Amino acid sequence: MGNPLLVFWSRMFGGDEVPSRRLRRRIPRASAVQATATIFLILRRMRAPLIVLITIFAISVLGLTLVPGETPSGQPWRMSIFDAFYFMSYTASTIGFGELPQAFTAAQRLWVTVSIYLTVIGWAYAIGSLLALVQDRAFRQALALHHFTRKVSRLREPFLLVAGYGRTGELLGEAFDALGKRFVVLDADEDRIAALDLAAYHADVPGLVADARDPGHLGVAGIGNPNCVSVLAITNDDEANLAVTMAAALLRPDLSVISRTASPAIAERMRAFGTPSVVNPFDRFGDHLRIALRAPASYQLMTWLESGPGAELPPRGRPPKAGRWVLCGYGRLGRELIHDLRGEGLDVAVVDPVADPAEDGGPIIQGNGFEPAVLQRAGVVDAAGFVAGTDNDTSNLSCIAAARRLNPRLFVAARQNRASSAPLFAAMDVDSLLVPAEVVAHEVFAQLSTPLLWRFLQEVPARGDRWAARLLDCITQRCGPRLEALWKVRLTPAEAPALVGWLAGGEARLGDLLRDPDDRDVQLPAVVLMVMRDGECVLTPDDDFVLAPDDELLFCGRPEAHRALDTTMVVDAAREYVVTGRRVPASWIWRRLAGEV
Amino acid sequence: MNLEKVVFGFFVLLAATLNFGFFIGDIANPALHNVYELFAAVVVSLIATVLKFGDRTQIGAVHLATSLVADLQLIAATIVWTYAAHISADGLTPAAMASVVSLSGGALFANVVSVVLLVVETVSFHRR
Repeated sequence: MGNPLLVFWSRMFGGDEVPSRRLRRRIPRASAVQATATIFLILRRMRAPLIVLITIFAISVLGLTLVPGETPSGQPWRMSIFDAFYFMSYTASTIGFGELPQAFTAAQRLWVTVSIYLTVIGWAYAIGSLLALVQDRAFRQALALHHFTRKVSRLREPFLLVAGYGRTGELLGEAFDALGKRFVVLDADEDRIAALDLAAYHADVPGLVADARDPGHLGVAGIGNPNCVSVLAITNDDEANLAVTMAAALLRPDLSVISRTASPAIAERMRAFGTPSVVNPFDRFGDHLRIALRAPASYQLMTWLESGPGAELPPRGRPPKAGRWVLCGYGRLGRELIHDLRGEGLDVAVVDPVADPAEDGGPIIQGNGFEPAVLQRAGVVDAAGFVAGTDNDTSNLSCIAAARRLNPRLFVAARQNRASSAPLFAAMDVDSLLVPAEVVAHEVFAQLSTPLLWRFLQEVPARGDRWAARLLDCITQRCGPRLEALWKVRLTPAEAPALVGWLAGGEARLGDLLRDPDDRDVQLPAVVLMVMRDGECVLTPDDDFVLAPDDELLFCGRPEAHRALDTTMVVDAAREYVVTGRRVPASWIWRRLAGEV
Repeated sequence: MNLEKVVFGFFVLLAATLNFGFFIGDIANPALHNVYELFAAVVVSLIATVLKFGDRTQIGAVHLATSLVADLQLIAATIVWTYAAHISADGLTPAAMASVVSLSGGALFANVVSVVLLVVETVSFHRR
């Protein structure tokens, strides 16, 4: 900027050029200070008992040395301080070895009687106070907070901060633990944190009974820790989730935040803070139902990939593509579903005991969904689909039973509110089941476990049903009916040193990479779901797809395929063999002898 | 006037004075060092230590540290005295007495630091 006028201009008005204020703020850890305060308070409470004990001991010992005694031969004798201390120690602690070093005189016995009662009181007081302290609730909480803080600050690997350990938290915990990811849990309910101890996790999971709405508690749980990679706000309270989202966005704008809510209004308020990804289980269920109606195989593929390693292939539903739907319960779920079903061009009749005609839901039939007369009025007899979507499991189950009696061929979708009702809904054999906790868990898992998988799932609905069915056949053929591990590979010189030259050659066929390094005619039990190059993604590339350096690949396959691929990517000889079929020596000296280097 | 401060100051000062009383005199002459005075010094020093528990300030922490040092030195002195008077065949020799008194001298230094801290605390307290 040579021109002085320009310099002047920029000095005066170039206010936007201040260096970015991305300073790391100090994260408040109020409750940690509180914990040490409690420990100090407790130390202070031990002062009185200890001083009483010391004083009683001092008086007894001193008195014993001053009281006249005599030796067996009748000589006057006085106990030394050491002897007196020894005697008082074993007497006061009720061990009682007898009169040492020699028999006492009556005067000495008199003093000892007094001091026995004194010291017993002193000990009882001190030990009683100590035990009361150990039982003290505040003390135990302080101790738990102290342990938790220390465990969190010692985490040296990336971890997730989970606020709310309900059913969703439990499912996610199991899935992340299976992946070997660490996480830290906050929950306001003591029983839930106790459940954390009972769950059989591989890694140690620090948990604290605390209100996640308090930013100080989030600070203790490691929101300021550089190893914290994301925050999950999945409590069952929308307000609390909003508070966690806000705190995370304000204190650590660089963290990824996933929060759960069932209300579109709260979702909007969450989105006002940074870019959290908001999961609304009812909205997602509506979307899923739309996909399921339009493309059953795509829906099957998505639910399977989202349910985590080890999941069985879910059966493919056959929802009716046309016909009337009857929806019981016009709450948050009902509103979402009506919107989605009408969006698919389907006719929907709504049944709700507390009808609200002001809403744009069209005609609402007043009454309970389990009353046959009401169902008849809603037209269940000739309907194609039925949704039991109230927030009460008992009435949902009776709605389904009543509707099936009128029309056994109904496609039934139901909402299961409580985990304990799962066996009942399973016995009902519902065609499509919404479990809000599981929807959230699967969604969060898909977003966090492998971001590529998330991208993949976003692309699936656009590909159509037939493509999804072919992919499902391909995966089950190669890897079996259980979902195997999903993993990501980036073809960089660091991750795949052996492939660098091959990739640069421009003839790197994907099919060659998937050959077994032990026998190249055998194909590895793995499927490439997606290749990502410069933000563009190619779904299910075929064997002739040409790879380029820095491609990101999303694999689904058996663990042995993972190991074999690692070998191919790292060992030059293995790569040479899978690509060309030539066996070349692997060690430097043999290659030297073979004239390769 | 704060009664807690009175009791605290009393015990800190008493620990130092008793310790000084035992320490003063020819280092190797048992006649000049009364063992009861050592006993009293130990007891008062222990009480002073307990009184310093639970103070969260920086100066409180240093107070506690000096007291713990004094306790350690005085208990070491009593152990040496017990060994000399009861276990050793030679009895309370001038050499044994010298080491008892010199250990209590170390404790005296810690007690002096404690008193200095007390004075510093008092001086830096402004009456408004």
